[in-house]
Amino acid sequence: MTTERALRTVDMHINVGPQHPATHGVFRMVLEVDGERVAGCTPYIGYLHRGFEKLAENEEWQEVIIHLDRTDYISQFNNELCYAMGMERLLGVEPPERAEYARVILAELNRIVSHMMFYGAFGADVGALTPFLYAFRERERLQRLFEAVSGARLMHFYFRAGGLKEDLPEGFADELRRMLPAVQHGIDECDRLLTQNEVFLSRTVGVGKLAASEAIAYGCSGPVLRASGVREDVRRSDPYSLYPTLDFDVPVGKNGDCFDRYWVRLAEMRESVRIVQQCLDRLPEGPIRTPVPRYPHFRVEPGEIYVHTENPRGDYGLYLVSKGGVQPYRVKLRSPCFCNLMALGPMLRDSYLADAVVILGSLDIVLGEVDR
Amino acid sequence: MTLPADIDALVRLFVVANVVLLVVLVLIYIERKVLAHIQQRLGPMRTGFHGILQTPADAIKLLIKEDLTPQSADRWVFQLAPFLVFVPIFMMFVTIPFTGELVVRNLDLGIFYLVAFSSLHVVGLLMAGWGSDNKYALLGGVRAAAQLISFELPLAFAILGVVVWSGSLNLKEIVELQTGIPFLLLQPLGVLIFLVASLAELSRTPFDIPTAESEVIGGPLVEYSGMRWSIFMLAEYASLFATAAIAAAIYLGGWEWPFAPRAGELDGWAARLAGVTWFVIKTLGLIILVFWLRGTLPRLRIDQLMGFAWKMLIPFSFINLIITAAAVVYGGVILLAGWLATGGFAYAVYIRSRR
Amino acid sequence: MLGVLKGLVTTWKTHWRAPVTVQYPDERLPLQPRYMGFPGLMWDAEHDEPFCTGCQVCMRYCPTGCMFVEMKDNPKFATGESKRRKIVADFTINLSRCISCSICVEVCNFEAIEMTHHHERAGYYPDQVAGLPTLFQMSADHRAGVGQKPGHETRNLL
Repeated sequence: MTTERALRTVDMHINVGPQHPATHGVFRMVLEVDGERVAGCTPYIGYLHRGFEKLAENEEWQEVIIHLDRTDYISQFNNELCYAMGMERLLGVEPPERAEYARVILAELNRIVSHMMFYGAFGADVGALTPFLYAFRERERLQRLFEAVSGARLMHFYFRAGGLKEDLPEGFADELRRMLPAVQHGIDECDRLLTQNEVFLSRTVGVGKLAASEAIAYGCSGPVLRASGVREDVRRSDPYSLYPTLDFDVPVGKNGDCFDRYWVRLAEMRESVRIVQQCLDRLPEGPIRTPVPRYPHFRVEPGEIYVHTENPRGDYGLYLVSKGGVQPYRVKLRSPCFCNLMALGPMLRDSYLADAVVILGSLDIVLGEVDR
Repeated sequence: MTLPADIDALVRLFVVANVVLLVVLVLIYIERKVLAHIQQRLGPMRTGFHGILQTPADAIKLLIKEDLTPQSADRWVFQLAPFLVFVPIFMMFVTIPFTGELVVRNLDLGIFYLVAFSSLHVVGLLMAGWGSDNKYALLGGVRAAAQLISFELPLAFAILGVVVWSGSLNLKEIVELQTGIPFLLLQPLGVLIFLVASLAELSRTPFDIPTAESEVIGGPLVEYSGMRWSIFMLAEYASLFATAAIAAAIYLGGWEWPFAPRAGELDGWAARLAGVTWFVIKTLGLIILVFWLRGTLPRLRIDQLMGFAWKMLIPFSFINLIITAAAVVYGGVILLAGWLATGGFAYAVYIRSRR
Repeated sequence: MLGVLKGLVTTWKTHWRAPVTVQYPDERLPLQPRYMGFPGLMWDAEHDEPFCTGCQVCMRYCPTGCMFVEMKDNPKFATGESKRRKIVADFTINLSRCISCSICVEVCNFEAIEMTHHHERAGYYPDQVAGLPTLFQMSADHRAGVGQKPGHETRNLL
């Protein structure tokens, strides 16, 4: 027997997902592994495809919001904000000031909730048990607040063209003011648990590097792009709603590795607390809805518009086309998760099997948005 | 009344076997409660007072579950594997002294025996990984083999420090040398290396790489169910208990330190009880430390783990051995260098993580 | 090692805090007043009949199509007891399909339907389709629970 024949090896194909515990929903990737090294990756998406864009064409303008909730089902308020702004621009109405403030507060709180979800899942990906529970403890506070505001913990259906569904509940501002230090403390605690941990650092620093040029080329946005060192935030580069008047920083990473993506999100949570604090201080009294016609008469003039917001996962864009009438003609979603996921290939180069899980976790994908 | 030696050993073995089973049930309960409270949960609460009967209930459930063997599995290898994991670990209890007398057999080569048996179960894990005919299991099994064999060396070298200092391989004699100062203070680097290496030997966080839930979904155990799976669990917790007991004996002074019953002060059962109490407190403390670490730390990657074993633990365990040997020859003051080396070890860990 | 110690201190501290979870079926976290469970039908006590006229607008707008509504002539209209010409004859909601979105509440012209706090449907029997009596009961239970009167502010918004 020759040595060559004795040492003949084959690459093993490992199926990660859609039921694998580390794939965040129903993403599936077939990893080609050479021992522990990843030699190739074939991603499969579409397990959660519900045809959101087609469904939207058969719903009335305002009713589409319930489907928006279900695209990125961890940052619902941000999605609703994007769509509501699009409708308002098509209709040519302005929401009252109180509604604007309420929207920004809720969207930023939703950013904290979403990043907490990332924190927990990322902790589980690198093998720690406790971060997930800490993150959900912090989420729960805010979820209960959301429940008090909109009546639902996840699928809020709260932002409408021209304002909000109903006013913020009584005592909302006081409750939130009382809660913010606790939220801040929760973020600090999560920070203390993981960020400086040597085991965590050795798992994330230098893993899954994405150069700034590559990130831009793949159309990444949000924390994934900012971790690579690009200071790009829709709230700053194409300001909407109240953001031009608010004072906040855009945290930027240096190396574009998993640790930077984690760190940027943690820093963003702190910025969100700052934004909420500012909005609370200025929250005015007043109407919460600019009157728009009710459902049989709700018509949008023919036209089209592209509107995008900075979602927790990146640049969430909606292209709305109206041909007049009660239903949108076309709703196109520019999904930040989908574009970020495209960068998985270059990130997985020369990685280990265990890294693949961490890299996927650091992208923080939500399959409801990738598959739509 | 003294029984014939063979019968006596059998009786002792029977008692120890049952104690181990009981201890495993208690340990699983403690782990669940400790983890739950670390995560601000309640943990098991329903079955019995504060869920105290939850583990027996789970054990009964596992025993009456169907014993599945995958169709494509290598049948004999698959079915034999759990026992080959459990038996070597159980064999370790033969010479673990709970007190001077409460031991199945106090072997003169006790430590040699323990070190020999502590890594035999790698065969069983590898068999489980291969026999399952599952890619996750295979990866997990190979990971287990690599990890357990690599960490066997620093573990043995760390213990060797104690052996060199005490000049004995007999656990009882080693414990009795610690009436004044426990070896914890004399061998700080050795303790650290022993703890880290035994965490890896036990495949517990942060070294639970063979069974990593988020990567290989339980590794070698992925295809097992019911009774065979519960034997794996039994082995895991039994080895945790055994390792903690060894650590308590060779580093924390076992039943002797800090209050060794002087001759005449306490005698007979009272002395034994005091000794066992001390021993159990120390063992349990170490076990809870392991659970606490599990609730705090993430998991290392396999290449980092191997690098850690070969580039950090083994050189430092050599340093520990050299310091101890020098101390034996030139006087005990040299052992203070061990504390310096411990600081160096901590610093090296810090530097490695920042690269 | 410092980071590991920091983490250990954090978990040590949380270990001594009170748990945040509760034993679910024995203990329940209170629902917020606005909580949206499944929709129920309100009862007009003044005329001793439902508010619902069976106009089917909710059925048409329901995004999951989980509702079925039928209309009939109101017998009380002929006798002059009520001003409603039409009244609901049959109303079923397949609660296993309902997504609690509150669109039915918002499109209703008669303020006849409301989101109740009822949200637990687990049971031994597959009685997932709620008929008229169940829907009335759900609303009545809800009102008794939260002390609400008909005419909630969230109506007629869409």
